[in-house]
Amino acid sequence: MRPLRSVLIANRGEIALRVVRACRELGLRSIAVYSDADAGAPHVRAADVAVRLGPASASESYLRGDHLIEIAVAHGADAIHPGYGFLSEREWFARAVREAGLIWVGPPAEAIAAMGSKTAARTLAIQAGTPVVPGTTTPLRDAAEAEALAAEFGYPVLLKAAAGGGGKGMRIVRGPGEVAGALESARREAQNAFGDDAVYLEKYIEGPRHVEIQVLADAHGTCLALGERECSIQRRHQKMIEEAPSVAVTPELRARMGAAAVAAARAAGYVNAGTCEFLLDRHGAFYFLEMNTRIQVEHPVTELVTGLDLVQWQLRIAAGERLPFTEPPEPRGWAIECRITSEDPASGFLPSTGRVMRLALPTGPGVRWDGGIEVGSTVGLYYDPMLAKLIVHAPTRAAAIARMRRALDDLVIDGVATSADFHRRLMDDPAYQAGDVDIQWLEGRLPALLAATPDAATTRRIAVAAALLAAHERPGTVASHARPAAGAGTPPTDGASAGAAVVDGGSAWWQAARRDGLGGS
Amino acid sequence: MRYVVTVAGHEVVVEVDGTLVRVDGATVEAAIEGDVASGRVVLTLDGTRYPLRVSPGAARGAYTIGSAGWTVPVEALDERRRAIRALMRATARPSGPTPLVAPMPGLIVRVHVRPGDVVAAGQPLVVMEAMKMENELRATAAGVVRSVAVLPGAAVEKGTVLVALDAPGADGA
Repeated sequence: MRPLRSVLIANRGEIALRVVRACRELGLRSIAVYSDADAGAPHVRAADVAVRLGPASASESYLRGDHLIEIAVAHGADAIHPGYGFLSEREWFARAVREAGLIWVGPPAEAIAAMGSKTAARTLAIQAGTPVVPGTTTPLRDAAEAEALAAEFGYPVLLKAAAGGGGKGMRIVRGPGEVAGALESARREAQNAFGDDAVYLEKYIEGPRHVEIQVLADAHGTCLALGERECSIQRRHQKMIEEAPSVAVTPELRARMGAAAVAAARAAGYVNAGTCEFLLDRHGAFYFLEMNTRIQVEHPVTELVTGLDLVQWQLRIAAGERLPFTEPPEPRGWAIECRITSEDPASGFLPSTGRVMRLALPTGPGVRWDGGIEVGSTVGLYYDPMLAKLIVHAPTRAAAIARMRRALDDLVIDGVATSADFHRRLMDDPAYQAGDVDIQWLEGRLPALLAATPDAATTRRIAVAAALLAAHERPGTVASHARPAAGAGTPPTDGASAGAAVVDGGSAWWQAARRDGLGGS
Repeated sequence: MRYVVTVAGHEVVVEVDGTLVRVDGATVEAAIEGDVASGRVVLTLDGTRYPLRVSPGAARGAYTIGSAGWTVPVEALDERRRAIRALMRATARPSGPTPLVAPMPGLIVRVHVRPGDVVAAGQPLVVMEAMKMENELRATAAGVVRSVAVLPGAAVEKGTVLVALDAPGADGA
């Protein structure tokens, strides 16, 4: 096997930086790649060398598998780490990397293919004995068949139009007496809406949580489940907060879910880090959804409660190392992650753009920042809006929530609207604090969270402060020159490194203020 | 000086008289140290000090202020500037059809019109992509295209003018 000494990182942003750091700590040479939009990005400066890929658009840069392999070969890389997103779950790319004689830091192409589509993964899971949401694969013939199946799956069940969409032709059936009537109306509605009255039946999952199991497998037959992550706080199927462990998972359930995940992974011939996603209903029954054949965005919460460096283990497994343990560690303490995105809650979570003018990062015990921005970073529209992940670890869930509140209070990002304040509101929510959530909870709670305003005393203090600042700013006072012209600030691009505790762009403001004061530009 | 301060949608009247401030019917001794440029200020109210985070907003008197887990946009307007603003709002009357502006940041996918085209109200002018969805932007009123400011592939910020329109019948159209 080829020795692993250098790694090309086929990604950008925080995950590229995360992989560079792991390489550095393992004594591996790192090769970054960048699009024209990322030429000055932190991951480019952090790596040992960085190579241009192409124009800003992802299809001309980070998605150019052919270029990535050419660059890897030309610069003497032994391996390619794909990160998440982009080409990380493309079977053809994993295959092409292997065929070029390089090591793929991820599962074999065959395992990616086996888990590649939801239907293929479902078939594989059924064969491995991993539970899936019970359902029919052919249209229902009549009410008698529907009743028989419902009795087998257990009520409640869901009738679903084959042509489905928008809730049309959909009925929740809670008992045998309702089946015939519900089937008739679902068919009629489906016929009217889609011109097709085919209706399927599946088990209806009540109050489902999204709980996933981290799997880590070496090439020597060891395959371990490293516990669960709770990812039910979602908006439009995008996770906003992740935790490990989950309030809904007991040690006994953890062991059963872990065994189910390992069975599915083994059936796919899985090696390296991967994640099995499950729906967990309020009665403790769980159902396999799919397997993500890559490192996950939310891997840090598992790292904090297990003490394992998953990205380092990805590289060590790719190099042929054996896992040195045969039992997964018990989770220790509680970890929470907030995905800080450049989405503006005040304007319906539309992506915001701009330049980071000031950045103060929270530090202190149990606080971790996996970020891809620094002062001067331009936040554009070419890539994913996730700027960074703020992760905390504490002995208990309540202490972790308190720590996250404190960390969010300490976080300052000026220049781009972010989701940070929304996360801060979530930490104060009683239902969130009680862990009483499911995957639909956040959507229902959004209006109240967005309408929340500060208490009267805070409002009064802010109002007085604004009035005093405005009074100081009146013409003829010194402070009237303090405001930079909109967009005129040119922050230093050689700002302190992203790893520094507090990165202050004060000099940029000062420069802008000075320009303003001198009447220039 | 009397200020009307808008804090997260609430209006608070603050009267500043030297070191005294009248707010919500109470008079307190108030002072602020530091300035906007430093990003941090300290507000003192009757001897109690409150550290606040602050960054400048888009206009004079506008700030974003952070306190106790909240970061909120605020605007403090004195009487004179309030009067000017009211006046501008009353007299600001569009001289023709309003230009088409980007309602959000995004990428221009298609431009349906060229200068000189006569367009009807509701007619699609530009398609832009934002949040992975294509959005059709339509003319709010009938008019004649004066100029097109963007090409497909361009990334635009919120508020960018995309298409300028003249009133129908202008330039003999």
